[in-house]
Amino acid sequence: MNKKSLRLFSAEVAMGVGSLFFVIPCLLLVLAAFKPDSEIVKFQGILPKQWTIANFQEVLGNPEEIPLLRWLLNSVIISISTATLVLTVSSLAAWSMARLRLPGKPVVYGIVLATLMVPGQILLVPIYLLLNTLGWLDTPLALIVPAAGGAFGVFMLHQFFLGIPKDLEEAAALDGCSRLSTFMNVIVPLSRAPMATLFIFTFVGSWNDFLGPLVFLDSLERYTLPVGIALFQTSYYTEYGLTLAASLLCTLPTFIAFMIFQRQIISGMAASGMKE
Amino acid sequence: MKPRASGWMFAAPYLTLFTAFVIGPLLFGFALSLFRWELLSNVKPTFVGFENYAEAFRDPYVHQALGATLRFVWMAVPATILLALVIATGLNAVAGKRQGFWRAAIYVPHLLTVSVAGILWRWFYNKEFGILNALLRPIGIEIPWLSDPAWAMPAIVLMTLWWTLGGPSVVLLSGLQNIPVSYLEAASLDGATPVQRYFRIILPLMRPVLLFVTVMHVIGGFQVFGQVYMITRGGPELSTRSLVQYIYETAFNNYRMGYAAALSWILFAVIALFTLVQFRLMREERS
Repeated sequence: MNKKSLRLFSAEVAMGVGSLFFVIPCLLLVLAAFKPDSEIVKFQGILPKQWTIANFQEVLGNPEEIPLLRWLLNSVIISISTATLVLTVSSLAAWSMARLRLPGKPVVYGIVLATLMVPGQILLVPIYLLLNTLGWLDTPLALIVPAAGGAFGVFMLHQFFLGIPKDLEEAAALDGCSRLSTFMNVIVPLSRAPMATLFIFTFVGSWNDFLGPLVFLDSLERYTLPVGIALFQTSYYTEYGLTLAASLLCTLPTFIAFMIFQRQIISGMAASGMKE
Repeated sequence: MKPRASGWMFAAPYLTLFTAFVIGPLLFGFALSLFRWELLSNVKPTFVGFENYAEAFRDPYVHQALGATLRFVWMAVPATILLALVIATGLNAVAGKRQGFWRAAIYVPHLLTVSVAGILWRWFYNKEFGILNALLRPIGIEIPWLSDPAWAMPAIVLMTLWWTLGGPSVVLLSGLQNIPVSYLEAASLDGATPVQRYFRIILPLMRPVLLFVTVMHVIGGFQVFGQVYMITRGGPELSTRSLVQYIYETAFNNYRMGYAAALSWILFAVIALFTLVQFRLMREERS
């Protein structure tokens, strides 16, 4: 027993030391955001000698040049719309393919699955030209709509729907439920967990997407947070305090969401890696 | 249930989007790769057959970008898998509630979006006032992290490890937790030491998960872009410019759409090749 608790103790110590590598850089970001520039561009110790909120004031007080809240709003709108659209169209398609008798279904589903292998970059140039023709470049639509063609959600929900016993739907059909109401009243309540996982995954993917907004968006007030922040690199090159304060502010919503949904995010993460 | 025509109606919205934004662009992209197609230029799109592909094979910048990408994959993926396995093993050894705490601590960097993570590490790596050199200077070392081609890629890889290790660690942890306790107890009863148990029972059982995670990271590694773009912009001397960055610049800085489309198909071919090899290995391991 003693040996066991010794092992537990040493595992804890090892994790404690190891996690410093992950946590300390994040703490440095927080601390640096409160430093005046002079302390950032000349290393004077880890803690600020002189705490200041000037960086935040400047970042937030200049919405013309740094529309940080606008970018936040854009990110929220785009991520929520993308996740909602993906969830809606994928779940309907996955259910019809898993349940309804569709002529030609195996072929269609096979093609959908095959595209899981296709890396997103290969679509970048043709989609850019397509969006250009549609006149959607530099609008949120450019990021929301094409994402809903992705196969991952259909694949994931299809697998899940196959596992739901058919009796439930048959009973509902006997009771005179239409297909749509069977789907809404029987399937959706049973599928909350995988649907939530898909929603969170799509949301996080859209929130962190970098290449898409970089290519498809063009004007300052349409940017999402990741590209907006990236702009600091070029425009406020020397103003590290400002850049780091904006970076910290842009991470706060993610951090809060993670604290609330930690279990779902991590178990979804683990589940997605386990199915094979 | 009788077949009804309405079945496809449920799939129709998705299939429309799928056709318009996946299948269509895929075919269009391939067609594009056979054309000399330049935006903002007076040259009309002209069919050139496989000339873009031929050019890519001759293009020294492609060789350089492919080399940088391969170096990234080669440095980042084995280290990711090995370290994630170590972290998962450590997490697995910690009991109950504390496990969740450490797991979250390791996952935290991934909450930073790539531009924030990039800005942060660019600052750490700064030769004059970055914290890494500030800590190394007292012992007489100063590393030109981002200005020396020999250091730039390792610097990108180190940042990537910090940023992404949380994901695979969590996946491997759940793999470890799925191993039936009875197997381990039986081994202990037979007198297996913990080290033997780890290498003879746990690791062989983990093989499918490990291979899956490896495949996913190889695929992801070939698509590296954000952190390179943020930290070095492909420099110094293009030593860190990845294939995706080269495609991005070809299409959206030089507006050579046809050539960029051909380059994307080459990237796809490289990824597919590596994926196939890995799946082949996986199948052989199993049989």
